Amino acid sequence: MNGNRTSSVLAVGAFAGLLGMVASLFVFGRERFWINWILWFLFVLTTGLGCFFIVALEHLVGARWSVPLRRVPERLASLVLLMAPATLLALLSLPHLYSWTRPESLANPLIAGKAVWLNIPFFAVRAVICVALWLVAYRILVSGSFRQDLAKDPRFTVRARRFAPVFMVIFALTITVLAFDWISSLEPAWYSDIFGVYLFAGSFLAGLAATTLALLHMKSRGRLQQVGPDHLYNLGGFLFAFTVFWSYIAFAQYMLMWYANLPEEVVWYQERLQGMWGPLVLVLALFHFIVPFFILVPRNAKSDPNRLRVVSIVMLLSHWLDLYWMIFPALGVGPLLGWPELAFALAFGCAGLLWLRRAMTRGADMPVGDPFLQEGLAFRL
Amino acid sequence: MSERCFSVLGLFDSAQALVAAIPIVRRGTGALLEAYTPYPVRGIEKALGRRKSPIAGMVMVTGILGALGGLGLELWTSAADYPLVTAGKPPGAWQAFVPIMFEVTVLFAAFTAGLGMLALLNRLPMFRHPMLRSQSMPLITRDRFALAVEAEGQPLDVEKTASLLRAAGASAVEVVGMPAPPGPVSPNAVLTAFAALAMSCAAAGYLTYWAVKLFPVFPPMVHMLDQPRLDPQRASAFFTDGFGMRLPVAGTVARGHLPSLIETPDEAAVLSSPLPRTAAVLQAGREGYRTYCAPCHGVLGDGKPTLTAAYGAKPANLTSQAIRDFPDGRIYHVIAAGRNAMPGYSWELNQDQRWAVVDYVRALQRSQSAMDSDVPEGVK
Amino acid sequence: MNSDAISLPEILRTPAVIEGSISPGGVDDQVLSHVSRKPPAAWFAALAITSGAMLLGFALIGYTVYEGIGVWGNNIPVAWAFDIINFVFWVGIGHAGTLISAILLLFRARWRNAISRFAEAMTIFAVMCALIFPLIHVGRPWLMYFLFPYPNQRGIWPNFRSPLVWDVFAVSTYFGVSLLFWYLGLVPDLASMRDRATGRIRKAVYSLLSVGWRGSSSHWLHYEKAYTIIAGLATGLVLSVHSVVSFDFAVSLVPGWHMTIFPPYFVCGAIFAGFAMVVMVLVIARRLMGLENLITSYHLDVMNRVILACSCLMGYAYLMEGFTAWYSMNEPIHHTFWQYVFGTYWWAGWLTIACNILLPQLLWSRRLRRKYSVMILVAIGVTVGMWFERFVIIVGSLHQDFLPSAWRIYRPTLVDGGILLGSFGLFFTLVLLFARVLPVIAATEMKAVIPGAQPADTGGAHE
Repeated sequence: MNGNRTSSVLAVGAFAGLLGMVASLFVFGRERFWINWILWFLFVLTTGLGCFFIVALEHLVGARWSVPLRRVPERLASLVLLMAPATLLALLSLPHLYSWTRPESLANPLIAGKAVWLNIPFFAVRAVICVALWLVAYRILVSGSFRQDLAKDPRFTVRARRFAPVFMVIFALTITVLAFDWISSLEPAWYSDIFGVYLFAGSFLAGLAATTLALLHMKSRGRLQQVGPDHLYNLGGFLFAFTVFWSYIAFAQYMLMWYANLPEEVVWYQERLQGMWGPLVLVLALFHFIVPFFILVPRNAKSDPNRLRVVSIVMLLSHWLDLYWMIFPALGVGPLLGWPELAFALAFGCAGLLWLRRAMTRGADMPVGDPFLQEGLAFRL
Repeated sequence: MSERCFSVLGLFDSAQALVAAIPIVRRGTGALLEAYTPYPVRGIEKALGRRKSPIAGMVMVTGILGALGGLGLELWTSAADYPLVTAGKPPGAWQAFVPIMFEVTVLFAAFTAGLGMLALLNRLPMFRHPMLRSQSMPLITRDRFALAVEAEGQPLDVEKTASLLRAAGASAVEVVGMPAPPGPVSPNAVLTAFAALAMSCAAAGYLTYWAVKLFPVFPPMVHMLDQPRLDPQRASAFFTDGFGMRLPVAGTVARGHLPSLIETPDEAAVLSSPLPRTAAVLQAGREGYRTYCAPCHGVLGDGKPTLTAAYGAKPANLTSQAIRDFPDGRIYHVIAAGRNAMPGYSWELNQDQRWAVVDYVRALQRSQSAMDSDVPEGVK
Repeated sequence: MNSDAISLPEILRTPAVIEGSISPGGVDDQVLSHVSRKPPAAWFAALAITSGAMLLGFALIGYTVYEGIGVWGNNIPVAWAFDIINFVFWVGIGHAGTLISAILLLFRARWRNAISRFAEAMTIFAVMCALIFPLIHVGRPWLMYFLFPYPNQRGIWPNFRSPLVWDVFAVSTYFGVSLLFWYLGLVPDLASMRDRATGRIRKAVYSLLSVGWRGSSSHWLHYEKAYTIIAGLATGLVLSVHSVVSFDFAVSLVPGWHMTIFPPYFVCGAIFAGFAMVVMVLVIARRLMGLENLITSYHLDVMNRVILACSCLMGYAYLMEGFTAWYSMNEPIHHTFWQYVFGTYWWAGWLTIACNILLPQLLWSRRLRRKYSVMILVAIGVTVGMWFERFVIIVGSLHQDFLPSAWRIYRPTLVDGGILLGSFGLFFTLVLLFARVLPVIAATEMKAVIPGAQPADTGGAHE
């Protein structure tokens, strides 16, 4: 069967990638291995968290139009489960990548003062708490939704609506911790308090893009046929709006640091604009903002499956590029793109897709137990 | 029977009824149809076969114009016409120009959408449309829906159209008459109007000119100019003599003009120049000599200047043996304090400048008493 | 429908956007008739109070222009005080209106129609109040035209790199676009009023203002498209205008001001304060004008939930500011944040936290959310809290920045307070006049969302 073949190809790809990863550890050393690990676990995790946020947002505002397609981000949110062990494994990277773990960094008073926050035990505790909170939230919001398929009990919807604000608090704090701990502390003297919001914007967009892509994929396979152009239009509208939002946050952070020109802030951007990183930033601006913006501006583009597919793919790639651009310059060299990066892409990408293929078979394609499913299907602009 | 009318209108009681009636009426007549509703009804445009609105394209064009225009204005004023470096950034740095560029884009786009929609596409304001005087208009803006079969210049068969509308479900039919032709406006009236307009513009301009001219001289506009502080030439009640401008206090020393403790030429004779004898110092000395000394002592220092003919004075020949025998300090003292008819130049030249002039005078003396042995080998 | 089979718990049932039933003509009668009726005595009394405050404010502004800024409490280093606090405060309040009328239009939230007209009007009035302050705080307001880029004999252009000039463009664009948006929304209602008008003067005025609107399908076609486009553009303005205002602070080096989170934090604060003002005004207006069936308790409930959400977002922002201030390991920033809560103006810092973060938490409870007293208490609290937040940011940071020799206590004068009071007077005077002269609910838009208004109306699933 074609499905089995795809799964085998993905499995082979994942295994090959894994071999490549291990080989790169020995050939290129720990730093490169771990920075790739950080990049990839953050990419998949933030995409999953973005989808998780979509689910919670729908419960928070009590949206009806999105009920028919809510199962898609629920399934995609399981990527958070897949990345839970990856997050914990990433703790092993701390001594190799993060300068504040080394005792000589305490000679710098800026780092020494932060040592009460930036130390390995507290860092690890924070990571574990984040993962634990995500797992609890998953059980309540997503597993509960699957259970509602069978029980057809509206009490889940009530519980989800009541839990959604709590999830928002959890999400806000954990994504800020992710941003500050894993990305920002690569350069511990630097700080930016919009960084949590920035990672949120990118993650939400990645989640929307992944949801749209998965939805369109399912529709092309004949599933979710009742989800129509009006629903797609809303998804397209969100993609458009949050493309602008991400660009606004990215520009705000950059412009403020450029304008004030404080050495401790600007050095982060200087590293990321010099050499070959400069052209890379232009590519990022082009594909994270300009291209999706102008493709989605026309009204009919927002419900056109072809354009939505293109924009979603571009968006996911741009989110990866965004994380790459934020994380890799910490190594102090130009953009690295070799077979280790390819191996990681293969490993994480195929493993993620394999996981998602399994997730797409779990439960019904639409939340059939949700009391507002019919209303959602009947939604017209 | 055909009449000259603008349109025949059928009134319907619900949006549903109107939308259902449209295909029926379209089949029954080839004339232009127009629907009137109190609020936008979904599906009407499709039923009537209307094209999409071109507004989006217009907005995109003017939005981009606005973006480029805003950015262009900022770049030209800040980097080309009068480049200024602020906060150490290059004058043409784009980062600081983005916010205004964005706002101007939105401004242009929004006003194109709003005013373009009203003026260009809907041709509003228009107060003479026949519908505005029809009896159905108040019903329409309240809660009824209308479908009009418009005549467009060709006479309509009113009876046939009315029965078509009733058959389609209209609860009432109205015949909307043509607008009354506008009365001819006489050339006199037009000319008078223009003249009045021109004169009022001129008057307004004149008044504005005087207002703008006079406005700043009234308080409080004048407060920053008219400050209670001591300006040059102002009287002051603080000082007993009433003068605002004061001389410096006794003992005030100008910069570069430290008081000299040397009173007599003999005391000065022991002084020597603190400056090294470099070309720069001699240049400075030449500047000072040519400015202050040459008019009387001559460019060559020989006492033959251009001015003595006018003044009848007899300045010393600086290249004479007597002055060549003066010690440096003595020459310095003469420059500072004067001698006989010559005034002292301590106000004009500070101490270093005086010493530079002394060095230059020495150079002049040497130059006017050159010997054969001074000529370098190979030039003889 | 599915909901018949399962009995929904009360929390899940959608309250009706309109309470009871009403016909399109009924909407006209209810909403448009206020304009032709004589207002109650309470209106005159309120107008007397607000215009008194407004005239006091204007008189004090005149006094300030005549005597100079010395009559305010501004000093060096606190060169910005009440003037900029009031400016940011009022611009912020305007944002709720644009969010309701523009952003909710794009989300197709039907409940927006009843409150959008009032909210947009409040935006315009708030921006008018805001624009006063940059004008009068420059000392020589008659030279304000220096800020506009026209060829002049001074030979110099405005500094386009300065956030103060960005403000000029952003706030005037915001005012212009909001006015345009509001006016376009009014045109069909003005046409209704033209057709209902009895006196000749009224009819002529409404005819002129409604520019001959006929409600033809070609009109509506272009109108709807333009309205949606302007709504999309206004959404961009909601984000950008208050961000540009925040740039006034964030591009500087003053400790406590140069925080990258300022743009979204200010926008969130603006929506927060704006919704509080909208709730405050609507709670009173709907009762006094008999509009409770159109501006229902559902509307108030949703707005209160938005206030609650904004309060939580502000809590996040305060947390981030405090944490990053510590994390920066920068001594002046540490000092400044310490001052915010333990310094000269410690009471303002705690008032801000109490009013903005703690008080709105009352709104978690459904029971409390429905009580008018709680709503008004929270709304007033948020308004006060947001004003003091700007006070803490501006005065708190400026009065003790880098050089201890330049530290100085700021004390406002009566003129400062009087002008602030006057701005409230202006705002509420305009609101009262608006309620008397124009329809406070977008009657045309309401007619479009009555059940059965659209053909084959399935009562589709929007929120």
